[in-house]
This record gives sequence, structure tokens and C-alpha cells, in this order.
Amino acid sequence: MRIAASNIAGPSRLRSAVVAARSTSFASSASSGLATTPPPSSFSTINDLEISHFSRLASEWWSETGEFALLHRMNPPRIEYMRQLIAFDPRFESPWSFAARHSDKAREKANGVGRWLTGKRVLDVGCGGGLLSEALARLGGDVIGVDASGVNIGMAVAHARVGSLEYRHTSAEALRDAGEQFDVVCAMEVVEHVDEPGEFMKALGDMVKPGGYLIMSTISRTPLSRLLTLTMAEDVLRLVTPGTHTYTKYIKPEEIRRFVHSEMGGYDVWEKEEDAGDVRTDEVGRTRGIVYDPLGGKWRLWGSGVEGGWGKGLGEGCNYMYGAKKRVDAAK
Amino acid sequence: MRSITPAAARRALLAVSEPSTSRAAAAIPRRAGPILDSKRVAGPQLVRRTAAVRTYATTAPGPSSCGTALPAIPAEDTFDIVIIGGANAGLALACALLSKPSIRETSRILLLEGGSLDRVRSWTGEDRWENRVSSLTAENVAWLDSIGAWKHIAQHRSCPVEEMIIWANPSPDSSPTVHFPPLGHPMAHMTENTNLQRALLRRIDEINPGSFEIRESSRVAEMQLGPGGRWVGLRIGDRWVRGSVVVGADGPNSPVRQFSAIDSYGHGYNTQAVVATLHHDEDIYPNNTAFQRFLPTGPLAFLPLSPTASTMVWSTHPTHAAAYKKLSPEALVTVVNAGYSLPESTLAALNEHIISSDTPLSAEQINTLLAQLPLPEIREQATLPSVVKTIESVASFPLKLTHADSYLGDRTVLVGDAAHTVHPLAGQGLNMGLADVRCLANVWEECRRTGADLGSRTSMAPYPRERYPANQLLLNTTDTLHHVFRSRSGPVNWVRGLGLDMINEISPLKRILMSGAGAGAGGGKRDAVGREFGPSTADQVGRGQAGGWPGKVASGLEGWLSFKSAAGMAAGMAGQAIAGRLRDFAQTRGK
Repeated sequence: MRIAASNIAGPSRLRSAVVAARSTSFASSASSGLATTPPPSSFSTINDLEISHFSRLASEWWSETGEFALLHRMNPPRIEYMRQLIAFDPRFESPWSFAARHSDKAREKANGVGRWLTGKRVLDVGCGGGLLSEALARLGGDVIGVDASGVNIGMAVAHARVGSLEYRHTSAEALRDAGEQFDVVCAMEVVEHVDEPGEFMKALGDMVKPGGYLIMSTISRTPLSRLLTLTMAEDVLRLVTPGTHTYTKYIKPEEIRRFVHSEMGGYDVWEKEEDAGDVRTDEVGRTRGIVYDPLGGKWRLWGSGVEGGWGKGLGEGCNYMYGAKKRVDAAK
Repeated sequence: MRSITPAAARRALLAVSEPSTSRAAAAIPRRAGPILDSKRVAGPQLVRRTAAVRTYATTAPGPSSCGTALPAIPAEDTFDIVIIGGANAGLALACALLSKPSIRETSRILLLEGGSLDRVRSWTGEDRWENRVSSLTAENVAWLDSIGAWKHIAQHRSCPVEEMIIWANPSPDSSPTVHFPPLGHPMAHMTENTNLQRALLRRIDEINPGSFEIRESSRVAEMQLGPGGRWVGLRIGDRWVRGSVVVGADGPNSPVRQFSAIDSYGHGYNTQAVVATLHHDEDIYPNNTAFQRFLPTGPLAFLPLSPTASTMVWSTHPTHAAAYKKLSPEALVTVVNAGYSLPESTLAALNEHIISSDTPLSAEQINTLLAQLPLPEIREQATLPSVVKTIESVASFPLKLTHADSYLGDRTVLVGDAAHTVHPLAGQGLNMGLADVRCLANVWEECRRTGADLGSRTSMAPYPRERYPANQLLLNTTDTLHHVFRSRSGPVNWVRGLGLDMINEISPLKRILMSGAGAGAGGGKRDAVGREFGPSTADQVGRGQAGGWPGKVASGLEGWLSFKSAAGMAAGMAGQAIAGRLRDFAQTRGK
């Protein structure tokens, strides 16, 4: 058990760290001089209003019946998505051999059970109270959780009891500038809360090791998502505090896929999907809807379907996952 | 077919004796629902206070019951899962968890048993028959086989049930009988509870990688929720152990249920079940038919154990049960034989004599009485079980229906009798427990796949979601059957007779009923004997892929068509049955 809280030595220090992060966003030369301060030239996509919003809710993170109940339930399908992407990655399957032809089934069964993240360095950006980070650490990952809210990090550290798990109060850009590299970089429900999603995603992409994975989840910008996440969840049912989401910050699945293709290196850096029938030439990665089943009381992964099909579009109308694989031969 | 579940109470696994637990239960304030949950995250001080009031201590209160912090618990006493109760449900859960590699290799599991399991370990299968026998449905036998436990069952002490005959004859000239014919595979196995326990223990020893531990003679004196609600501490003597989640497999008076402040509801039946081992001569037919006669006082079951032995469950009035138990074995043999064969009116008269007599009647007295009592002419003869020669191991226990309001507490979960007790008439008590255990193990396997916290309510939620309605349905069904078959009023008799006729005539309906009783070996899983239950990872990946819904629609359509044809058949048969009944009625009126 290793719980390092490098940046949370004390409240006063927390504050100065936040201040430091803030000041750098204006590229000001006034550095606080703290070791934890990102380099002055770096840029931060952190939105102060959002951070103070989530800091207010920090104590709620681990209540399974409170504000984040739906988020608690969302964890299993998110991780199932990651499992299917990572543990069953055809790139790393051992090649078929005549001698091993009978053990295909057994090897398939042994994949993705137990601690299937063992040996992988995982970054969870916007970890909040550590809901996802703890689960990933339990799966054997070497996890670093990062959040811009010091209160959240405090909450997460207080709760952490599992595996190899470290929390840092810092930003994705600061980590990128520090040269950190990870096998898996995930940012769940973060990209719709940052100021410049493009810059944020570039920072995430830079931190993925060659052969690694970039995994995100977010909300699409459709009438359906407006109805579900804003009208219903926030205003009518009050499952979520009003003001949690901003409609204009939502991003459509194809926007992400095309952004990674056009702005983040395209097929030189990222794998092109090899599935038969996948004719996309200007998109990187795959999205998959994740929908709440009120009867089953849980979230489900929507059928993967065919890109551009109406069924797939419907499933991705609100919450969805995005996953991309970096090429093994991608330049660092 | 039965499972003698309430008897498990007697082997109470925890130190808590009944009166003291009920006192403790009264002292536990009812939980105020989610309020506690939100408090829990507020801070360690608040939490500790909450935990302290919810402590129950039945022995001398230790220092920690006064609200002070729990002592530091070393790593060797820290477990992922603590199972309380070493009876069949608890052992089956341990075995099921150990059979799953993802749990076996990542979790430390502890099983606490209040008594000693030496008697079970040293059981050879050569001693005399025990009266604690359960019917294991084909589905559960297949599952036990898949986790590798069934091969350790002493096969000569496990009797397959191929056929079932049930009847209720209010008057001698009508004996509606339902005969469930052989399916080609046994619908159930009558197995002594000790036999199953020993098999499970042997299987556990076989596959235990060292992460599983059984501590016997370990009575839990006190339970306390750890700071932050992250684990439950259990005091055994002076030593504390803790578990991320605690499983209550501790029987009907479950202390875990009381600790979790989960209410249960239900009612007693004002009925005692008299159990005994019956010995008889070897018949020309193989002894593999289960008989159950529904008497107005309650069902009397005759369940095969071996060619020359069977077990009996006679659910009856407490006064009758007490009187039967006082009888000499020879006299009781006469009464049991009468119970299977005599008309209800004669039997009622005999019972009157047995109850009203000050001294227990001897066998000769009963025979004399039977000779004097009027014996109406029997027009229709039901197939009867073998004539009982001797009887032994007579015992009785009260019957009740209980169902916990919830299966989940804070870091606790209930399985088996701790969650529900049922009338034994359908022989489902242990089977429900095994189904619980199977489901919980699958849920936890899924949790391990997604890194979820085993003990959180969110992770365990699928377990009650699957099991609660199923168990409730079974409880309701047995409860209804109990009342329907007890009644002897005219219209109820008529409808019941009609119902039994219909069941007897309509084979699809019969099949549905039998598969409902678990005899159908679980449809597609029938060929899964010897293989692992549950989908492979490949199936898991495949699930939720494209093309899921057309399949569902197709199977829905198929289901609808078969339902339509079954309904059509049922309507036709019902018409015939009603016509037949009316004809009977007209004939008796015409006489």
C-alpha cells in the first residue's frame, strides 16, 4: 500500500498550489517558487468555477446514495469498456500457432480476469474522490489520480486503502510538461468541464506511451443529452446539483474522433481501426454509448454497432466512452 | 423433498443465544435509511459514534463497545470476505468463491464457525441415517458438480428422485393424484446435510490456495462497523478480525441480520414438522419416488433414501406432533402407515384418540382402534409408498415463513436461512440458499473483473435484484400451497381437484412446474454438468455487441408462439377436465 500525497501537505500549501496553477494560466511570470508549481510557460485548461463547484461537493464523493450515486454505478461499465479495449487488444495477442491451437479457449478465458491491469501505469485525470482510481488500483494498475481540486484530493487520499495508488493535486498540463508517460490515460467526465478541451486532449495524448491507450468519457451535445442531463437530472429529478453541466461544453463523438485525427497526429500516431467494414479515413478511435437502464438500476454499454449506423448514434446520444490506441511505433 | 432449515438454528453458529440476541435487537435503534449513509462520509468521529450504538454485545461488554476506537487489527486478521456460518450455505459460498480464479487469487476469505466441524469431517456415510436431509434440485446438483463438490458426495447416501406423486383425498371416493413421471434424469437428489457439508469441505481443502481459512469454535461476541464504514470488525474472544464484507450465513436467528438492523417479516404456521427415518422392505419397484399426501393438518412426505430406507416429514398441528413424539416407535409406525393410507375421516378419528389419551397409546391399542373405526369404501386407490416397518431418529421443529426486508446492510450481506425461511412442503429451503450463494459468487466475480469494492452496496446490488423477487415468489407459492391444501371446504376442494387434474393432464404445465421446482436442470445449462457455469469471458465480450436486439425480438416471438400453443393446449385440456368433473358430479347426483 503506497499512498503518496505529494502536494497535500497542508491546507495553506494546497491553496498556494491552486494559485500557482491559476497564475500560470495567464502565462504570468510570477511563479510562487513551489516545487510543485508547473513550469511558468505551461498552460492550464482548469476552469476555476468548475473546480469550486466540485470542491463544494467533495464530501459527497463516497456516499453511494448521494450526489454521485449514478457515478458510482457508472464505474463497472466504464471499466468493462477499458477491459475490452486493453485486455482483449488484438495487437498484443500471441500469434496463432499450431501447437497451441487447443488452448485458444483457455487463453481467452484467462484474459481480462483477476488483476488484468497489472504492470500498467495508469493516469486518472479529474479523479475527484477517487472512484475510478481505486477500482483501477484494485485491478493491479499503478495508478496516479490527478485532480485540480485540493479538497477532492484530500477526500480521495483519506479514502484510499488499496493497491498502488497515488494522488496528486496538479493539472494534466503540468504532468505533461514534467514529461510523465503512462500506459493508460483516462479522463472520465472531465473534458466537458475544462476550458479548452482541445488543449486538454492534446496534453492527455502526449502522455500516452507508444502502444498505450487514451480513454475518455463525456456527454454528447444533442437534444437527448440536454433533456436527460440538464432538464431531467439537474432540474426535475435533482439527481445532480444544478450547474454541474453546461450544454455548450458538451462534445459530440465525431468531434472527438475527428479532432484526434486532425490535431493530434492522426494515423501517424494513433492506430487506425482494423475492423472489416470500418471505412473511416478521417477519424481516430472508437466511441461507444453508455446508457442508464432505469429498470436494471445500472448503466450498460450500448452495442458497439457500425460506425454511422442509427443504432450506434442513438446509444451515443448522451453519455459515451471514447478509446484510442497509440501506435507502438509512434514517435515519443 | 425438504430441507430442514430451522434446525440449523439449533446449531447456532454464533455465541449469541436466542434471548440475549432479541434483547440486543431491541437495543439497536432502527436505522434511519440513507441519513446514516450521508453521515458516514462526514468524518471519523461521527462514524464511530454511529458504529458504537449499533454494536451488540451479548457477552460481557468489552471496552470497545463503549464507543472507543477499535484496536489495531493486524494484516493476518484482515480479510476481504468473512463468512459467518459453516453450514451448507456458508460452505457452499466458500466453495463457489474458491472455484472462481479471479476471486481465489485476489481475495483473503475467512469462514467462522461457532461449533466444530470434526463431526462432519469424520462422517463416513456408514452410520445410521440422519434426519436432516435435503432435496437438492437437479439444477443445484449440476452447479455443485460444476464447482467440483458433487464428486465428493458419498453417492450411496444420496438418492436420486425420479418420480413424484402427490395427492389430497378429502373423501375416500375422490383422490386426485398428480403423478410426475420420470424425466430421464433425476428431478432431485435426497442428500443428508452432513453429506453435502463434508463434500463441500473436501472440495475446499482440494482447491484452497492458502488464501482461505476456516476458524472453528469461533463465536462472534461483538461486531462493529469500522471507521468510515470501510470494514466490519468482529470480536472472537479477545481477538478482533475484520472483513471488507461480512456474509451472514448464520441461520434464521442471524446475528448478522440483527447487527445490520434489517427487519424481517413473516408468520409462523402453528405447525410442527415431525421428521424421522423410516425403514421398510425392499420393494419390487426401485425406491425412487417421492410421495406427498396433503392432509388437512398439513402435508405428509415420504422421501426415498435407499432401497430400504426413506425419510419422513410430517407437518402437523403442534399438539399432534407432541402426541406423535410421545408414542413408542412401534405405535408411531402404525400411525405413519395409517397417515399414508387411511381416509381422512378415519385418520381424524384416530388422531382424536391419540391426543385425548392421557398415556401414550401402544401399537396394539392403535390397531384395536383402527379395527373399530369405520373404514369407508375406497373407490380409487392411489399408489402408496412401501409399508413402514421401523422408525428412528424422530425429531420435530416449528415451521415459519420469514423474509428479510433487505439482503444488504452496511458491509454485510445475508444468504440462505439468514435471509429467508420457508415451509418445507416444496423442499426448497436449501435450494434457495444455494441459488443465493451461486448468484452472490457470480456478482462478486463480476466485481473483481471491474475492480469494484466487494462490500459496497452498489457492487452487491445485483444480488438482491436477482434473488429477492425469486425468493419472494417461492415463499408466496409455498405459502399459498400450504393454505390451499389445508382447506377442506367444498368449493376449495372442487377447484383444487380441478387444478390437480389439470396439472396431471397437461404435460407442458407439468414440465413447467417441475422446472420451477428446479428439476428441469436449468434448460440450456443441462449439458453444463462438469463444466463451469456462467458465460466465458468470450461470451462476456460478445454480449452487448451488435445484433443483440434482433435476437431478443426473435426469442421473444418464439416465446410468444410457444406460449400461445401452450395456452391453447391448456384451454383444451381445461375444457376436458371441467367436462369430466361435471360428468362425475352428474353421476354422483344421479345415484
